[in-house]
Amino acid sequence: MAKRAPRILGIDAGGTMTDTFLIDEEGRFIVGKAQTTAYDESVGFLASMEDGLKYWDLKLEEGIGTLRTGIYSGTAMLNRMLERKGRRVGLIVSGGMEDYLRTERGIQTYLGYSYSDRLHLVTHHHNEPLVPRNRIFGVRGRIDVFGKEAIPLYEKEVYSAVETLLDRDAESIVVCLLFSYKNGAHEKRIGEIAREVMAKRGKELPIYLSSELYPVRQDMPRLNSTLMEAYAAEPSRTSLTNVRKCVRDHGGRFDLRVMASHGGTISMDARELARTMISGPIGGVIGARYLGAQIGVKHLACSDIGGTSFDLALVTEGEFEITQTPDIARFLLSMPLVRIDSVGAGTGSFVRVNPTSNRIEVGPDSAGARIGMCWEKSGVNTVSITDCNVVLGYINPDFFLGGEITLDRQRAIDAVEVQIAKPLGLDVYKAAQGVIELFEDSLKSSLLGKILGQGYTPASYNLLSYGGGGPLHVAGYSDGLAFDDVLVPAWAPGFSAFGCACGDYEYRFDKTLDLALLPKTPAEDRQALVAAINGAWAQLRAEVEREFAKSDVPVDRVGYRPAVRMLYYGQLNALEVASPKQQLESAEDLNLLIKGFEELYSRIYGLGAKTPQFGYTIAGVVMSGSTEVEKPILPREPLAGPDDWKDLAVKGSRPVYYRSAWHEATLVDLEKLPAGSDIPGPAVVESPSSTMFVPPGRRVRLDEHRIFHMSVRAAAQLKLAAA
Amino acid sequence: MVAEVSDVRNMTRPPMGWAGKTLQEMLAESERLLVDTGHYYGVNKLSLKENDPIRYEKIWSRLRGGIVGARETALNISASPIVREIGELCFGLYTPEGDSITLSTGIMAHVHTMSEAIKHMVRAGYEEDPGINPGDIFTNNDPQLGDVHNADVQEFLPIIYEGELVGWAAGVTHETDVGAPQPASMPIGTVSRYEDGFIVSCQKVGTNDRIHRDYENRITTAVRTPFYWILDERCRIAGCQIMRENVLRVIEEEGLETYKTFIREVIEDTRQAFQKNLKLMTVPGIYRFPSFMDVPHSIDKGQMPEYAAVDSLMNCPMELRIGTDLAFEIDLDGANKWGYHSFNCTPSGIQGGLWVGLSQTLIPNDKVNDGAYLATKFNTPYGTWANPDNPAVSNTLSWMYLIPCFTGMFHGLSTAFTARGYVEEVVAAYPFTGNITQGGGPNHMGNPNGAWSNFEHSACGTSARYVMDGETSCAAVWNPEGDMGDVEAWELLEPLLYLGRNVRPMSGGAGKFRGGLGFETVRLVYNTPHQVMFNARDGHVFQCSGLFGGYPGATGYRHSVKNTDMKERIAKQLPYPTCDQDPENSQIDANVKGRTVVKDQYCYHRPDPHQEYDVYLSLIAGGHGVGDCLERDVALVVSDLNEGYLFGRFAERLYGVVAQQGTDGTWTADLAATEAKRAEMRKARLVRSQSVEEWMAAQRGRVERMEFNSAVRKMYRESHELSPKWRREFTAFWRLPADWTPGSED
Repeated sequence: MAKRAPRILGIDAGGTMTDTFLIDEEGRFIVGKAQTTAYDESVGFLASMEDGLKYWDLKLEEGIGTLRTGIYSGTAMLNRMLERKGRRVGLIVSGGMEDYLRTERGIQTYLGYSYSDRLHLVTHHHNEPLVPRNRIFGVRGRIDVFGKEAIPLYEKEVYSAVETLLDRDAESIVVCLLFSYKNGAHEKRIGEIAREVMAKRGKELPIYLSSELYPVRQDMPRLNSTLMEAYAAEPSRTSLTNVRKCVRDHGGRFDLRVMASHGGTISMDARELARTMISGPIGGVIGARYLGAQIGVKHLACSDIGGTSFDLALVTEGEFEITQTPDIARFLLSMPLVRIDSVGAGTGSFVRVNPTSNRIEVGPDSAGARIGMCWEKSGVNTVSITDCNVVLGYINPDFFLGGEITLDRQRAIDAVEVQIAKPLGLDVYKAAQGVIELFEDSLKSSLLGKILGQGYTPASYNLLSYGGGGPLHVAGYSDGLAFDDVLVPAWAPGFSAFGCACGDYEYRFDKTLDLALLPKTPAEDRQALVAAINGAWAQLRAEVEREFAKSDVPVDRVGYRPAVRMLYYGQLNALEVASPKQQLESAEDLNLLIKGFEELYSRIYGLGAKTPQFGYTIAGVVMSGSTEVEKPILPREPLAGPDDWKDLAVKGSRPVYYRSAWHEATLVDLEKLPAGSDIPGPAVVESPSSTMFVPPGRRVRLDEHRIFHMSVRAAAQLKLAAA
Repeated sequence: MVAEVSDVRNMTRPPMGWAGKTLQEMLAESERLLVDTGHYYGVNKLSLKENDPIRYEKIWSRLRGGIVGARETALNISASPIVREIGELCFGLYTPEGDSITLSTGIMAHVHTMSEAIKHMVRAGYEEDPGINPGDIFTNNDPQLGDVHNADVQEFLPIIYEGELVGWAAGVTHETDVGAPQPASMPIGTVSRYEDGFIVSCQKVGTNDRIHRDYENRITTAVRTPFYWILDERCRIAGCQIMRENVLRVIEEEGLETYKTFIREVIEDTRQAFQKNLKLMTVPGIYRFPSFMDVPHSIDKGQMPEYAAVDSLMNCPMELRIGTDLAFEIDLDGANKWGYHSFNCTPSGIQGGLWVGLSQTLIPNDKVNDGAYLATKFNTPYGTWANPDNPAVSNTLSWMYLIPCFTGMFHGLSTAFTARGYVEEVVAAYPFTGNITQGGGPNHMGNPNGAWSNFEHSACGTSARYVMDGETSCAAVWNPEGDMGDVEAWELLEPLLYLGRNVRPMSGGAGKFRGGLGFETVRLVYNTPHQVMFNARDGHVFQCSGLFGGYPGATGYRHSVKNTDMKERIAKQLPYPTCDQDPENSQIDANVKGRTVVKDQYCYHRPDPHQEYDVYLSLIAGGHGVGDCLERDVALVVSDLNEGYLFGRFAERLYGVVAQQGTDGTWTADLAATEAKRAEMRKARLVRSQSVEEWMAAQRGRVERMEFNSAVRKMYRESHELSPKWRREFTAFWRLPADWTPGSED
């Protein structure tokens, strides 16, 4: 057999494991695993590569040498934040705002909490500040809401602040002043003074100005984002470049890029690196968009079930949504993030019966990697969702993680009996089934709510299910919803890593403008507005070019996508509207933007919510620029007959409990399953890293790209949802 | 003002209640069955839950998921930072009779006030006139019918399935301006309802899911910021529509009968769970904690009618009774009379306040609804501030009384939790959520009639717990999801620059564990020729004590400097105030001069004129303390000194901690000296102490002769007149003659 030639590399460096995902030119892939090495990530990365390449009988140099592109995503930066192991930052803010990190925003005391804890005030608490109060200085001076100088900068105070920060051994200086997104003159001047003082003292510290890095409204999120850049992102740049060096030392001839929150990949030399902090979970959404484009599907509802959460995202008209003020690690940030809604329930979620109300509660805490009571060694003493799956026969106790861990089914049965079934007065199997139904039903309603909330119905979407728990539960949480199709890639557990490899090489920049476009706005002002928008786009386009220049990407290979962020005049929440033109040519073109906004707004909030009589605000502009990079090609296999699998891939059978009865399910080996197979339920399709359950009455068909299509079962009575 | 019950038996249209009943008949039946059986709607067996607990939970999860999603979506429509940033909105799903089934997070006080408004519509026969049809929209902000104050505007959409009313979707937001003679949302110093501004009393304002143009015209002409009002109206309607569609889907999937059974069972279920929690976490008994609030309107002489421009004091003798039969009773007997001010409350507002307290203490979980409310009993004596016998009282800032009033319940519950060992749940009540900075005038955006209500007081310091200090700048009693919003959001609305927003030292009450600290903001009137501004918070009295020997949080004061030298200072690059920090060493006094300096304890008053470059201070309250100061960990005291949270001169006086400041400014404690100092202080306490008998003997004469200031005398006189029970207990406690009276009017 000819040697494989890996073309694309995806690295997912998690807190405990580093996964490498290698794809060859025919779309075949392998996954390598090794422990993450926090002291030097390149060590874990190499070990993981070696682990993967051994399946293709390749040595490290051989494997790296043929690679054309590589994408990195990891949690090192996030961990640096969470463990508060970042740089010694010095911070300069507007005079009087020195307590920013002590008062925070009240919302940061309960971000990410469950409904119950949001009500339960005694659980709310502030973050430990990233910068201690004695390295934060205020300097007098003010820019007002219109960007005009209300109070000139008190330069003497700036000199004194910089001197003291240097005395206190600050390693970098962050500057964030009020309304600097409107007018960065004061911040710029502080930068100059800081450089002057440093030059005198023979020092050179990096300076981060919020007006340069994140010129968008909202002072706390802008401050947090700029701080993260200095505190966590910059030190991570060093470890990223170590990985890059290591690749090059082993003969790699490609530029290793990093997945960023806006859904594109960027160079590790990019100025705004903090946005690579949260890349992991969005990989799947990017993969979904790419997969959709390959198979000709424009609307995808992405659902990812992991051990602790159920993540939902929509790809609509071939694009994912972007949120502007996401929160990460309990901080509000000002950076574009692919919108993902997370429900705090996954396969590891704990299940309890509340002793006072005698009602079932799922989560919010989870056994995570400790699986559940079915694994005695884990020390877990509360029933998890996985335990229920084991009780019902869906999960093979002897083939969990390909047999790496042997689960104790009887232990799970006993635990469910004592903790769930008895208190509810149910038979143990009915209780386990009930828990799974409840779990899947809550996922289903989140999914439905998300789709309806965008003004669509399930019929407009293909449901895409992935993650370790996706294939097991997709039949349950899609039951009754009239999706156009239900898709499960055979590589569902590695889909997020695959997705990272599908990212465009893309930079995106945002800028706040706050320009009013009112019914009474005269023609000449409309003309000025057009000029302002074009000017801001040009400025951001130059920034995109500057970043690409760092990687020697020529300007003529970059495609640009201009957009505006728009809202009704006075509103606070903007919608992103793509511009149909690269530049606005006349005031008439503003109507194109208005039309796009009105369509989007009425779809999301309903016709009754429209208020065009107040006029509009162009809150800001967006410019994305991307260039072609090599992406995975989907596998393409010859189709076997629909029943050929019966001779090739059947492993046996196992009883499974479903809808209050036992059924004998066919056990199918995914690895041996040929494309074209059509499998009726009840069946369980197993691979070392995943289990798919096909209930009685439904079936799955494996297509030429190794994507399963599960038959849709729409409840006839769902006429309202479809109407 | 309470509308008469109109008889709808002779309706011209078929009844829309269940099984051919009218809504009135359903409500009457519900109330009768609760009284007769002790169970909600007489549901004594939770059949659906027992027979199919999984299905029961699934329905619950769908209904609640829909409502939480509705809030998240609707939030984005609003234009007001109060809604968008601070989250002042809440949605609830109700039974046809108006009992809440499930609710979103947000200002939960309104879960029950909206219930009252629906009940009003049912009682008043809206079924017949004006009629309740699919697509109808009803609005209310009338505290007499079901609200706390008219700043909170509610929307109601009936949910009708095959001709039957199956429920109501309702939502509420806090508005920026209510169109009163004074600008902003909570005018102060109004003496009757007729000055409270725009009040909509359970009115049908839309059909076919659209607001009527005539109503929108009315808003446009009635309030100063119609733009915010209209977008908020759209926000509430959109949220209600999402909820309504979700409910109809659940009915389609589960069947109408199951849905009907479910909504009654789930309310009864919560009622029972509330009682089980009560049994689990508390010890039966009578818990009494009084609270007070000052109303120093003498400062407004000349601006208010003479009879109103007086000082008064609010009396709230809260008694919480937990029975061995799991009764949970709240009794405000002894409260004094309503007044000619804006702080009167209605029973609906009080019930809203109760709801807030319960959802954060006894039932902080995702299974809350009116079942908890139905497990409680209330006494709001007629004629008092909590239930005025004058339907035309002003209510614009009912929270001014509600918050102190409910400190008693928090203290009572915390005492009961402590007795039972649930010390982690103990919290020393809440501070008053002020200063509420409000104002209006020509603004920087070109509106000659601007109005604004700053809501950064939604992030007060929280009170200490039994096991740790309170949290700084965190929450408000009426919204546990507190936030202060971004400076850059507020300056869009207000022609005032923030010169600073800092943690306020010493604002949390001292104790073994201290209250969380509040913060202060210094504002500069800017980009406007003139602006009226007012304050609102406690100034002369501590609304309540700390808990178990802890001190209450600091009271507020107002501090404005008018006709200032700010312009000259800025031109010369001289320092200007960015904080105040220590009233005895005020940074404002040190860094700005003006022709008029207002610095006193009159923390609320009618709007006060300001002009450009005036400086205004706002103090956001800190929480109360728990436990004896002398038991505070020395390391915590030193940490507070080093963080600047505790002024050096108080370390010894309050905590008995002997500490020195080094040349680098760092404080360290002398442990041996501290131990000696604390021993000495304990001895001194013994020397100073007297028995209750001695103390009472010394005070009795003062009480008998009412040797108090006029506000206190007025308060006692009113309580004495309104409640024979209070009169008897007061007289007996102080061993006064049976015919004793607190005297006649001054």
